[in-house]
Amino acid sequence: MSESADTADAEAVEPQSSAEKALAASAAGGDERLAYRGVFQRLFVRPEIGAIVGAAAIWAFFWAVSREFGTAGGAASILDVSATLGIMAVAVSLLMIGGEFDLSSGAATGTFAIITILLVKDVGDLGGAGLSLWVAIPLSLIIALGLGWANGTMVERTALPSFIVTLATFFILRGFKLGFSKLMIDNLTVGRISEAEGRGYEFWEPIFAFVWVRNDHQLGIRDALYTIGVVGGLALVAFALAELSFVRREKLNSGGVPVLAAGVVGVVAGILFLHNSDGVGANTVGAVIIAVAGLAAFVGFGLWRFTPQAAGGVHIKDSLPMYLGGGVVLVLLGAICAVAFDVDSQESVLDLLGFLRWPIILAVGGGFAARAYLRNDSGHTNTLQAVINVASIGIATGFGAYAFMFMTTEQGLRSILFAVFVLAGLGLLGLAATQAGRASPATRGVVLAVTAIALAGLAFFIRDQSASEKFRSELFGVLLATALVVLVWGVISTMFERRTSDHEAADNLGSLVAKIGMGAIAVGMIAKMLFTTDDELAAGVARAQFRISILWFLGFTLFATWLLGRTKFGSWIFAVGGNKQAARQIGVPAARTKTQLFMIVAVAAWLVGLLLAFRLDTVQSVAGNGLEFEYIIAAVVGGTLLTGGYGSAFGASIGAIIMAMSKQGIPSARWNSDWRFAFLGLILLTAVIANNFIRTKAEASR
Amino acid sequence: MSDSTPLLELENIGKFYGNIIALQGVTTEVRAGEVTCVLGDNGAGKSTFIKILAGVHTHDEGVFKLEGEEVGFNSPREALDRGIAAVYQDLAMVPLMSVWRNFFLGAEPTKGVFPVRWVDKPLAKGIAKEEMAKMGIDIRDTEQPVGTLSGGERQSVAIARAVYYGAKVLILDEPTSALGVKQSGVVLRYIVEAAKRGLGVIFITHNPAHAFPVGDRFLILNRGQSMGNFAKDEISQHELTRLMAGGAELEQLQHELEAAIASK
Amino acid sequence: MKKMRWLAVLLALVMVAAACGSDAAEETTGGDTGGDDDTEEVDVAQSGDLTFYMITHSDDGPFWSVLKRGAEAAAADVGVEMVWQGSNNDANVQAEFIDAAVAAGADGIGASLPNVDAVRPGLEAAVAAGIPVYTINSGVNDYVDLGATTHVGQTEIIAGEGSGLRFNDAGATKILCGRQEPDNGALIERCQGLANTFNGEVISEFMDLDADQTAQEAAINAALAADPDIDGFMGVGPVITMSGLRAADALGRDLTIGGFDITPELLDAIEAGDVMFTVDQQQYLQGYIPIILMYLEVTNSNTLGGGLPILTGPGFVTGDNASSVKALVEAGTR
Repeated sequence: MSESADTADAEAVEPQSSAEKALAASAAGGDERLAYRGVFQRLFVRPEIGAIVGAAAIWAFFWAVSREFGTAGGAASILDVSATLGIMAVAVSLLMIGGEFDLSSGAATGTFAIITILLVKDVGDLGGAGLSLWVAIPLSLIIALGLGWANGTMVERTALPSFIVTLATFFILRGFKLGFSKLMIDNLTVGRISEAEGRGYEFWEPIFAFVWVRNDHQLGIRDALYTIGVVGGLALVAFALAELSFVRREKLNSGGVPVLAAGVVGVVAGILFLHNSDGVGANTVGAVIIAVAGLAAFVGFGLWRFTPQAAGGVHIKDSLPMYLGGGVVLVLLGAICAVAFDVDSQESVLDLLGFLRWPIILAVGGGFAARAYLRNDSGHTNTLQAVINVASIGIATGFGAYAFMFMTTEQGLRSILFAVFVLAGLGLLGLAATQAGRASPATRGVVLAVTAIALAGLAFFIRDQSASEKFRSELFGVLLATALVVLVWGVISTMFERRTSDHEAADNLGSLVAKIGMGAIAVGMIAKMLFTTDDELAAGVARAQFRISILWFLGFTLFATWLLGRTKFGSWIFAVGGNKQAARQIGVPAARTKTQLFMIVAVAAWLVGLLLAFRLDTVQSVAGNGLEFEYIIAAVVGGTLLTGGYGSAFGASIGAIIMAMSKQGIPSARWNSDWRFAFLGLILLTAVIANNFIRTKAEASR
Repeated sequence: MSDSTPLLELENIGKFYGNIIALQGVTTEVRAGEVTCVLGDNGAGKSTFIKILAGVHTHDEGVFKLEGEEVGFNSPREALDRGIAAVYQDLAMVPLMSVWRNFFLGAEPTKGVFPVRWVDKPLAKGIAKEEMAKMGIDIRDTEQPVGTLSGGERQSVAIARAVYYGAKVLILDEPTSALGVKQSGVVLRYIVEAAKRGLGVIFITHNPAHAFPVGDRFLILNRGQSMGNFAKDEISQHELTRLMAGGAELEQLQHELEAAIASK
Repeated sequence: MKKMRWLAVLLALVMVAAACGSDAAEETTGGDTGGDDDTEEVDVAQSGDLTFYMITHSDDGPFWSVLKRGAEAAAADVGVEMVWQGSNNDANVQAEFIDAAVAAGADGIGASLPNVDAVRPGLEAAVAAGIPVYTINSGVNDYVDLGATTHVGQTEIIAGEGSGLRFNDAGATKILCGRQEPDNGALIERCQGLANTFNGEVISEFMDLDADQTAQEAAINAALAADPDIDGFMGVGPVITMSGLRAADALGRDLTIGGFDITPELLDAIEAGDVMFTVDQQQYLQGYIPIILMYLEVTNSNTLGGGLPILTGPGFVTGDNASSVKALVEAGTR
């Protein structure tokens, strides 16, 4: 597996070359491995970065192709699925970081639900212990702790792989669920926990099953709160990035302050103008005002605080115009695709293409076959082998093209083409920017400005041409904002000196402001999700129901993140998973740590079991069976290493959200659900490859 | 310094596994601020020697004195408590874990009251950085994984950790064996640095070229037997190399190789 | 650690106590469960000199226990001996049972055919020996080929078709037919049958597993939210039917809902009027009828059905009969 190769790499840091570099550097007074790492480099070693980027991409993808995905109802639905999956994924990721697996974790969720119900069920007609929930809940928790302890102790005592031991526990639990529910109530559906009414049900039910229906909650200032939160938050984050990236002036230059103030006033004025005016022309004017004023604000801010860069002339490399032009063309091509296929059609692309499908399939298959033929020309001595090789490649790719067209609706095709072209175009522009940055800061500024103009052009093009309301309004705003950010960054990064060393005060201020900014964005988004407006109700949005399980999910994620990052136990988890022998040598109680991890997983399963029991009232004996692999997948998608010693609880929770989104996205987009598993597989593969790529990249860059 | 009591004194130390002689008749000493090198080819008994010093095994014969007092350790913990710390070849490091976490692993400084108790991260990071700086390494970001450090730097983390936890005698097991020439130089510098800070260092190696420049005393082992225990002024590097490989045997081998090449 | 061990012991004690305190009564659900192979002789008619064998892939779960009660009741009614042999889904064990029954000189054999090839030699031998053979529950495609007299059971397509007519009556126009398994042919056939008779549009989709009811409900929720035209939901199992009901409630949508098989909570929902009907294959009949048919064939040379299969379903449980069915479920015959 790629993960294990990775660990091996990390352990055997190529001695020869690094040794030479290190000595050369240490002779010069500093080791380049220990050199200053900029804010982005530091961000990119976090295990959850890949998952966050992936989650954003998947959300954007389904947002583009479905009606409900971007609404509060859609978000509630995704979070609902994420919650139980996420609690388990977080616990499982802790265990995986500790180097073990628990295949019984899925079945355990159902087991604890059933145990709790059987404990409180009336003694009367059908089997049940008739206990109060006040007894049953702690009792089932103790049983959970016992199960975790048993799993951990067995793994430690026998020194067998946890895969085998917990597989056995899985079968035992599965048998237990069947056996017990049939023995006691002769049924595979175990109900009901509500029979505990009068025995604590009234108290516990809201704790595990409370539901907020948010449609009755209106907030007139919701959109204002959302706009201020998100725009203000983004501005704060941008200021923080500047603080973290540029060299501070020795003495502040007060000349920048008026420019900053004027810029801020201009932005506010622009927003007010946008808010109070209507019509395409006015919108454009408002957007331009905001853009110019925003740019002025940032430049003023920079002049006030940062050291200007020594001027450098514009130096253009030969390949630069090609990248630049290619990038712009691709972005616009994406826009044309988005508009050309802009219909609300669910029809399969295959049907829409009619007889045209065959030339396409032949072209794809033939093209790949020809490429294979040309590539292998000198390689193959055996003609038959070459023919088989070329033919199979041609047939496979042709069939792939067919399957792709069969799977995709016109709407899907639109978003795929749009995404591919625009992303490729932006990639080229980014390449151009990097290349230009090496030439001179001024060149990079020029490239970023061209990128910003391409994005703005795309935004206006879509607004004018697109038939879809969502594309016209929301996508327009997003693209324009992105263009503005790129432009500002281009200008400002050209103007000021980049940091190559620590500056404690600036670092502290920068991270504080960044945190406040992200908090403001979060507040804006939450307000948008939790409240409705009159307009929305009039338009008849789907009902948004938020369950209390989401809070449990949030709480558990925070707890696990704290545990992992801030406590002794957290260090020990990493240690026993990363190098158990070493951990033991140095005095970490490895066996105890692992046993406690198994107990954490069992407690998470108990919590999920209670959430299930209170939510469904009756629980199936199959509940949870087989879900352990989903937990492991979510943890892996979230950046946890299968071989242990590396990962993040927060990442695992994002991984769970990714899983939930991909589960929800297909029915939301009304695509053929038969392809769901293929899609899930694709996401998993992409996520793992991307994580791997980011990690190796990050480690190589130091 | 030589007039004070040595930190460690070993006289005719021996260890037997059944009727196999793992080590016999080994005599040497370790003084504060000095480096004692233990040289030997593979299977010479070096690891048995370390294990006796570090408390993994007890010696079967001879006298083992720590600061003039006769001792025999029953566990590594006991040795560690008495100030003998061993840095093994595999370093007891978790490669994917950050520098500061590795530094404090198993003994993290905590804040807060049970059950809400957390690691005092700023303190831990500060100490790790400071201790590394004392070894002459400027770790700017103690959050970076140990695995991304070079082999020499990882050695220095291990050495700094041992020093921080109050080691008086530092046993380094083949710290340079996996390193390139220049990187080895870096580690040798740390060894000298540690000795300068008043520790007694036992440097185990099979490379006389590494041992000779830093050692104050040399113990040469071959097949479990001591081939001699010399102060620096009593021996040359050439002599050291010859003794280490079993003297005559190496000369024999040299002749054979020359003959083989000549007959080509 | 010591404390933990003590707790484990306490737990074990508590669980044992709970188990002893329970007295098992009967309830039913469809579905497959594990259990032990069992062979037991049910001596209902001491005087009868006819012995009929019921050799099925029964797992002794709630579904099969109802079927078994049907067979027991029929044997008592006509005064014959019935031998019940369940193989718990093990085709080889079933084949051995059949061989043994033929050797023991059975007067009639009723057999289910989840895996026809394993039991073919035994049943063909039985037919050749002149023993009346009836296939029950599964085997509608193979009974003619085997030479069995007839088949007593339900087909998935017909069950679906019956449901389609019910949805027509209710005035639905677009139905989401939710499946709880992606690749189970029987479930797909139920949706196909529905599409055969339903006048409007049927969307047959996999909506996550019964093992993950949260995701199942959310997937249905997403599909319903994305398509406001959907006004009917068919769950091809009892659990997914309830998930569909919850999803519709969460969205505040009033759907016509139909389901498959019987569970207590589904019966409650039908009684409350939230679910219109559930399809019942009336497995009691699949036990009762073959015994009667074998008796008549052996004693009076009667055969029924004219070679066509005898369908025990779809029977429908609706608001009209839900409460009586509920009582019968508790009695163990539905």
